[in-house]
Amino acid sequence: MSAPVRRVPLGTIAGARSGDKGGDANLGVWVRTDAQYEWLRAELTVERLKELLPEAGEVDRYELPNLRALNFVLHGLLGDGVASSTRFDPQAKALGEWLRSRHVDIPEALL
Amino acid sequence: MIRIGNASGFYGDRFSAVREMLTGGDLDVLTGDYLAELTMLILGRDRVKDASLGYARTFLRQLEENLADALARGVKIVSNAGGLNPEGLAEAIDRLGLGAKVAHVTGDDVRDRFPEALTANAYLGAWGIAECLNAGADVVVTGRVTDASLVVGPAAAHFGWGRRDWDALAGATVAGHVLECGAQATGGNYSFFTSIDVTRPGFPIAEVEADGSSVITKHDGTGGAVTVDTVTAQLLYEIGPPAYPGPDVVSHFDTIRLDPHDRGVRISGVRGSPPPDTLKVCLNTLGGFRNSTTFVLTGLDVAAKANLVRHQLEQAVGADGLTWTLARTDRADADTEETASALLHVTVKTADPKRAKAFSRAAVELALASYPGFHVTAPPGDGTPFGVYRAAYVPRTSVRHRAVLPGGKVVDV
Repeated sequence: MSAPVRRVPLGTIAGARSGDKGGDANLGVWVRTDAQYEWLRAELTVERLKELLPEAGEVDRYELPNLRALNFVLHGLLGDGVASSTRFDPQAKALGEWLRSRHVDIPEALL
Repeated sequence: MIRIGNASGFYGDRFSAVREMLTGGDLDVLTGDYLAELTMLILGRDRVKDASLGYARTFLRQLEENLADALARGVKIVSNAGGLNPEGLAEAIDRLGLGAKVAHVTGDDVRDRFPEALTANAYLGAWGIAECLNAGADVVVTGRVTDASLVVGPAAAHFGWGRRDWDALAGATVAGHVLECGAQATGGNYSFFTSIDVTRPGFPIAEVEADGSSVITKHDGTGGAVTVDTVTAQLLYEIGPPAYPGPDVVSHFDTIRLDPHDRGVRISGVRGSPPPDTLKVCLNTLGGFRNSTTFVLTGLDVAAKANLVRHQLEQAVGADGLTWTLARTDRADADTEETASALLHVTVKTADPKRAKAFSRAAVELALASYPGFHVTAPPGDGTPFGVYRAAYVPRTSVRHRAVLPGGKVVDV
């Protein structure tokens, strides 16, 4: 029997910060307990991130267990950089807050 | 221990932060970051208009107001506000006539290798800053050094670190990364902002120890908070792989240890390794001209309204270089006009400045001849030039990193 889950925004337990590096965006996501990190690391794969943020193209993912964090680099999201990009939010400042607002199934024990 | 504060995270940050940091408590060094990729482009355009510009002018005004106080308190000032013209900024600070010993760092400008670029600046490291401070400078201004170098340089000079003290350099780099965006370390732009008072966050301070470990804190009585969470958030800003490359050291972000501390957060355990033998270069070239406007589509038939105005504008100026997005912010049967409305954004990018201007005229001429309820959020302007950013890499040995000491002596770094 699997643990009971609740469908809530990811940001209920996860913080995030995002920004620009040239035409790439980076998106760091962190949680505050070891149990939450174990869940996050298993849940938030590159494929899952792309489901939650369908505008993402090529994505690299890095683990920072010491910070209970994952860092994603979203390649090419910002075209030729902030001055040239026609994207809404050309510096990817709010990309993290968008991700936090997406609904996911989180084990109740972690909430 | 050396106490290093930050008073700026970008060109345009809180003007009064320099005064707040000087008067709010003890400091040894006050740093300020004024340069982003975009800022280099803005300064590049300034420099085209007037070769004596190209530096962050607000920094000079901040020194006009506060340098005498900093000298009296014995607080050193270290900033990359020199932008594309650190020499010009150093001369302007001399002209304030306060008798400060002013030094600057040069060599980041590598336009000779990238003649097509409007700006081409290698990211220099901390050793030029350290040379200037070792020579007794009160103020050090640089061009494009890495943001973290503003913290690493003063710490390296203070403790006499060597160029192969990788762990100490990496520890100070991490402290510098936390400080470089000002209030983003103290609760600004923080996901859990409802849990602290971020009305007016204080600017951050790193108390760096001889081994490169540090305590991140802020002056007593300032707003915001320094917690493991606020520091974690800033550590995740604008990074890539955990092995974070810099000109002086590769800092391994997966070795950072954060612990709560009485006055903030302690950072320890950071491991460093030798840097690559290339330096990253920030290149900005002029990409052309852009212009944009936003049509408001209210009520019924939003998709058809968008199709009509799009067809009309493309007939007038051509579809080439136009990007359209329709944000369906409208709701059916809404009880306010704003929530009944969708927003249709269009941007033109073109090599021809006349076409960027014609875009405005064409959009305005539709005002009485398009979809019902036609209006725009703001009338389009004449269009502006835009830059294209690109990173490049050059051999470290090809860059002449130099410190110009107080009095004018030039030292190769």
